[in-house]
Amino acid sequence: MSELSKSFEMECEILDRDHQELMQQIDKIAAVIDGNDDGRCAKLTPEMIKFAKQHFTREEALLIKVGYPDVKKHAAHHQNLDHKMETILELAAMADENSLAGEKLKSALKFFLADDIIDADLDFKSFVKDRDI
Amino acid sequence: MEGLHIHGAAHAYGDNQVLSKISMVVPGGELVCLLGPSGCGKSTLLRLAAGLEVLQEGSIVIDDVTVATKELHVPPEQRRIGLMFQDYALFPHLNVIDNVSFGLLGMARAKARAIARERLDQVELAHLTEAFPHMLSGGMQQRVALARALAPEPKLLLLDEPFSGLDTNMRASIRQMTLNVLKQSGVATLMVTHDPEEAMFMADRIKILGRGGKILQSGDSHEIYYHPNNEFVARLFGFMNTIKGTVQNAMVQTPFGPVPANGFADGEPAQVLIRPEGIVLSSGGQDGGESSGGIPVEVNSTHLLGHFSVASLKIAADRNGAQEFYVRVHKEFLPELAGRITARIDPEQSFVFADDATVPGEPMLDDLNILSPELKTLLSTGLEPQDKVQKQAEAAE
Repeated sequence: MSELSKSFEMECEILDRDHQELMQQIDKIAAVIDGNDDGRCAKLTPEMIKFAKQHFTREEALLIKVGYPDVKKHAAHHQNLDHKMETILELAAMADENSLAGEKLKSALKFFLADDIIDADLDFKSFVKDRDI
Repeated sequence: MEGLHIHGAAHAYGDNQVLSKISMVVPGGELVCLLGPSGCGKSTLLRLAAGLEVLQEGSIVIDDVTVATKELHVPPEQRRIGLMFQDYALFPHLNVIDNVSFGLLGMARAKARAIARERLDQVELAHLTEAFPHMLSGGMQQRVALARALAPEPKLLLLDEPFSGLDTNMRASIRQMTLNVLKQSGVATLMVTHDPEEAMFMADRIKILGRGGKILQSGDSHEIYYHPNNEFVARLFGFMNTIKGTVQNAMVQTPFGPVPANGFADGEPAQVLIRPEGIVLSSGGQDGGESSGGIPVEVNSTHLLGHFSVASLKIAADRNGAQEFYVRVHKEFLPELAGRITARIDPEQSFVFADDATVPGEPMLDDLNILSPELKTLLSTGLEPQDKVQKQAEAAE
């Protein structure tokens, strides 16, 4: 992945920076799984999940600040990701010893970032952009 | 990002809204299945991605190139996509290698044929380059179609019910081979199916579409099967035993004992859905498993269906026999030879939902392809309330 695609840009610096950071952390975990980095999934993944949760909090705060009308719906979407994050952590705990867990983790992380986080955020892109944060 | 990115896609045929603000991502190298009953809009979404329909709202991006918005429509031949349909759509007048090299227009003939040979080798048909489609089995034709779709190295592969024309035995081997080839190629793949088992086998991620073209749940097969977020999704994966009740003290009472009410408030109507494998039978010992929480049951019938049997049963204490339950048991367990039998619920296979009848789309028995035709027939006849069956029988007499 490495860089955010144009179609994923929120055109809001705070959010784009968070998404880019998440992407880089996920890229690093993928590199470990592919044997191109000597880190450990069991250490890197909880850090990534921690950052993702912080991002959710920042994002909800921003949406409240700009008066986004569907903020509760988006917060509920974040809550619904709890189970996916638990699964990701379970896979990460095994991924350094079990290649199948590693491959599943890599796939789960790709969808978690692109589908569950960034794409869902695009729903409020124009609202936030109009407020010039 | 490599792959497909659809955001906010909506589509209507006249007044009929078939897709409602669909968003999804298929990253490079991953396979996403759209699963849902007939008429839920899944093929329309595939056709929009292919450029066979003009997008009315939203955007579609393939490998960072926007190919469709309300104002933009890049034609299918410029989207770098591969398509594979249920009927394979091979050219009958071309032999296998010419079918596969057909999409390599503008390429020197020798180079196109070399690439076609490579693709045919991948699908284990390199020995049949000169054969014509009518000389091939359905499975072979499907493999030729896959080779043809992959030959131009598409950025996105779109599969529309690709295995539904194959018989059961061939389907299993062809889909395994197809999955291997797709993973080797690293192409982003979007597949449409109404077969839950096929989706679970093939997909890295499953998107459940309900009627009206809304995504009801998105996740890997484990998440969708064991954590369905509504009744529609739960029922899509096969028959469910249903027990209706009212929440009391945060529990729903069932004949097998109380089940946690999953956050529903006391007094709310709720229903407990239990998969056939979610009712666990035990026998043996002095109490037949009663000491481990099992409830004594009477087994009415069993049907061996290969590696498992389906049994119907009633709660032993329920002398009126108001409700019959269907259970899937391993072939080694023979209720007809067992003594006292008890049943308990496996909490992983049972789900509590509101009993408000506002299901986003009711799957019909025909949609439940995970069941064999024999089992479908058995269930469709055996699931009627007994009084209705009796009335029908009386009417027939």
